Amino acid sequence: MADQQQTGTSPASQTATPQAPNQPPAQTGPPKFNWPPPADRALIGTSVKRLDGPGKATGKAKYTYDIVRPGMLYARLLDSPYAYARVKSIDLSAAEKLPGVKAALALKDPSKEETSRVFYQGEEVAAVAATTEEIAEDAIRLIKVDWEVLPALATIEQARRPDAPKVFPKGNFTEAALSQEGNVEEALKNSAHVIEGLYATQVQTHTSLETHGGLCEWDGDKLTAWVSTQGVHASREGVGKALGVPQADVRVITDYMGGGFGSKLGTDIQVVIAARLAKAASAPVKLMCTRKEEHLVTGNRPSAFAKVRAGVDAEGKLTGFDAETWGTGGAGQGANFPLPYQVYPVPHRRRLHTDVYINAGPQRAMRAPGHPQGCFVHEVIMDELADRLRMDPLELRLRNLPPEADNAQWGKYFKLGAEKFGWAKRHPTGDAAAGPIKRGFGCAANRWTGQGNRNTKAICEIMPDGGVVAKIGTQDIGTGTRTIVAIVAAETMGLPLEAVTAAIGDTNYPFAGGSGGSTTVGSVTSTVRAAAETARDALFAKVAPGLGVEPTMLVAKNGRIQVKNDPSKGLAWKDACKLLGTEPISAPADWQANLASVGTSGVQFADVEVDIETGITHVKRVVCVQDCGMLVDKLTAESQIIGAIIMGLGFALFENRILDRNTGIMVNPNMEWYLVPGISDVPQIDVTIVDQPTRGVVGLGEPPVISTAAAVANAVANATGARVRGLPLTPQAVLTAIEQAKAGGT
Amino acid sequence: MARRKTDESGFSRRTFLKRVGATGAAAGVLGTTATAKAQGVNAVGPGAVPIQLNVNGQVHQLEVEPRVTLLDALRTRLNITGVKRVCDRGACGACTMIVDNKTIYACSTLAIEAQGKAIRTVESFTQGTVLHPVQQAFCDHDGLMCGFCTPGFVTSVVALLEKNPKPTREQALKALDGNICRCGTYVRVLEAALDPKSATGGRRG
Repeated sequence: MADQQQTGTSPASQTATPQAPNQPPAQTGPPKFNWPPPADRALIGTSVKRLDGPGKATGKAKYTYDIVRPGMLYARLLDSPYAYARVKSIDLSAAEKLPGVKAALALKDPSKEETSRVFYQGEEVAAVAATTEEIAEDAIRLIKVDWEVLPALATIEQARRPDAPKVFPKGNFTEAALSQEGNVEEALKNSAHVIEGLYATQVQTHTSLETHGGLCEWDGDKLTAWVSTQGVHASREGVGKALGVPQADVRVITDYMGGGFGSKLGTDIQVVIAARLAKAASAPVKLMCTRKEEHLVTGNRPSAFAKVRAGVDAEGKLTGFDAETWGTGGAGQGANFPLPYQVYPVPHRRRLHTDVYINAGPQRAMRAPGHPQGCFVHEVIMDELADRLRMDPLELRLRNLPPEADNAQWGKYFKLGAEKFGWAKRHPTGDAAAGPIKRGFGCAANRWTGQGNRNTKAICEIMPDGGVVAKIGTQDIGTGTRTIVAIVAAETMGLPLEAVTAAIGDTNYPFAGGSGGSTTVGSVTSTVRAAAETARDALFAKVAPGLGVEPTMLVAKNGRIQVKNDPSKGLAWKDACKLLGTEPISAPADWQANLASVGTSGVQFADVEVDIETGITHVKRVVCVQDCGMLVDKLTAESQIIGAIIMGLGFALFENRILDRNTGIMVNPNMEWYLVPGISDVPQIDVTIVDQPTRGVVGLGEPPVISTAAAVANAVANATGARVRGLPLTPQAVLTAIEQAKAGGT
Repeated sequence: MARRKTDESGFSRRTFLKRVGATGAAAGVLGTTATAKAQGVNAVGPGAVPIQLNVNGQVHQLEVEPRVTLLDALRTRLNITGVKRVCDRGACGACTMIVDNKTIYACSTLAIEAQGKAIRTVESFTQGTVLHPVQQAFCDHDGLMCGFCTPGFVTSVVALLEKNPKPTREQALKALDGNICRCGTYVRVLEAALDPKSATGGRRG
């Protein structure tokens, strides 16, 4: 995945303007392919039900976890029970002797220093494949490992202590990286108000419902792998490299997958292990992570800490922003995030960032990497500055927005959202109403790049019997990709949705990148449109002579190919396709920059009730205004936004990976103590999508997750009069903040 | 934050552990059947035992070890995979089935304890190619995204509507509080559950 946003450590998203750094080059001459004019669109921009809904609702859809192959074995892993340790020996013999066990592998090599260590709990140590899962579990228990337990770095404080053991080859933390612009000290000195505080966000795990893993089957030297992945092509590349097998001999299939949120973009070690076990056992092997492993080893959103001084002038213009930041992405992984959050430019700024490594599962890209953290810190500061100025925080935001652009519409959206939300009823900070239930309002903005991947390819075929197939090696991770591929092909051919087939989720189809960075919709719609237009024009060329017109005079509409200004002159689609004789049309195409666009803007408002006796926050309403360029499917786009807001609520209120501070062992690697929102936690959610039908397509999966926690945190402060500067906003955190506020703190 | 469904009176992992604790002897778990019998516990195993399961109106004969859950028996022995394994400890509802007209977490129910009971899964609701009105409502309202939690949600809604065809919003929330969705389909799942068309399914399967 080439998208820089995916690393979660890249400062790419900190550019000062909302335009993306890698804006595609300007086109010369008229573009070869175009979207139909908005008035001519039959499907695009409407609410289209997802094609795979029935398969999913009936249980017929087969996910990687569900697939069974003849003679298939089940694999299990032996995970490190320690956060930091050395494997002195591994004895597989008892496991191998257990009836039903067909293969066993040691995954650590005690003979060498560098391959004998584990750096986090859950790290893979050994694996077995057996005829049943129960036998595989028994076999795991029979593996004897001689451990040398080493003192783990369980917290950032432990890792940064001067006397801390050096655990990681590159050191326990990075040298502070400085970035600055202007003269921040001078700017803060001349500010009307300066606030100073420490802000923090927690580690969040992806908690995909289908765990990571795959099913591997060899046919001689050729490997077929069914993988729960966000990138079939990336998975093929990674598995091929890890096994030393030509990529041409590897096929990866992902028909359905049960959630990834960024954690399934890379090569999964589970798939590589399954392939090795399958080779050793001469049988197909399925290896899916347990729920505990899913929390421990398959990624997370890193923590973020920011010690900030921020200033504002008497008119409410931001003056200076000085931040010392750090965070941990676990074992050897970075934790950078954009700050100041680039919705509100600050002329003078300084930033000093350090990545700290601890003995915990490494981070992976998680839905808008870095952005919810940076947005939380900056948006909370905006409200604090507004309080100092005794200014409406919405007004402060409006005074600090960059110039309006297609992808910088926050001013409009704040006003539209405020109207829908009833922002005018907001009371000053601290609900003066009697009784323990306090009500408050908050708001926050988000931005995202969401540009398509220029390397995307697709093929569109038209069969002599009228069938249409759009082939593209993307995958549907629950976002509705299968449906939008079909929408674009059907729209182009003037056919109903059911008349076309979207062939996706297989490396046998042309290259498409991983479904990450909200790049998918901009990649696949643009490329499929170009392929479909090319195929359709080839059909026009076959049809035109019989109608006595130039091919350019034809349109495909309502199941017919007809002359533009004389609809009576034409052929039904199937009759037109018969002219192909025995040869289908097969039209390849590349991604077209002009059909996609770059950059989104969005805002969210939250209405909360806080019980100041229990500290419990109840989010009553969220109002959201969001754009995504040219809207493709309104129904699934709305679902994405609603889902993102709910995930944002989890980040705001509940979710927290808790490590034991002495051992680095996760105390809640399950779904009863790692709390994700349930249906009763969900507020009324009011979504307004601003369609920009004359722009290209931009991705939407990530932006709406960014600003929910910030809006909720600001609403909680507005309700209670006490500022919680860290997430999650647990009852304990809220009560502590209220006590501190009473004592005159913060 | 899922609320746990009420445990059935029979065998579950939880009651199993409690009973083992009560005997105060590991022999109850690992020892022979005879030892267990001597302690007055009607124990089987630990080897595979023949059992019969009545799933979606069809009786299946299979041999499983007593430790095998109902979920795993269906998924890995009978290839009935609509029900999913997600948390594997009764916290998320992805494995929800209807057993003798009550919703249960199949990951926390032993297969041997489901003998003689009428087990219904999401696969039983469709008639031929016609979706159950609840399934149709999930599609119409887009009450599904990645779809991994969907069979569990559909089953919970079907069970609710069979008992209470006109639930209030509060009643529907209570019935669905034991199911977790990570994509965040809740808003539209609730719309599907409360769609009057959903209640026209009657009892199927």
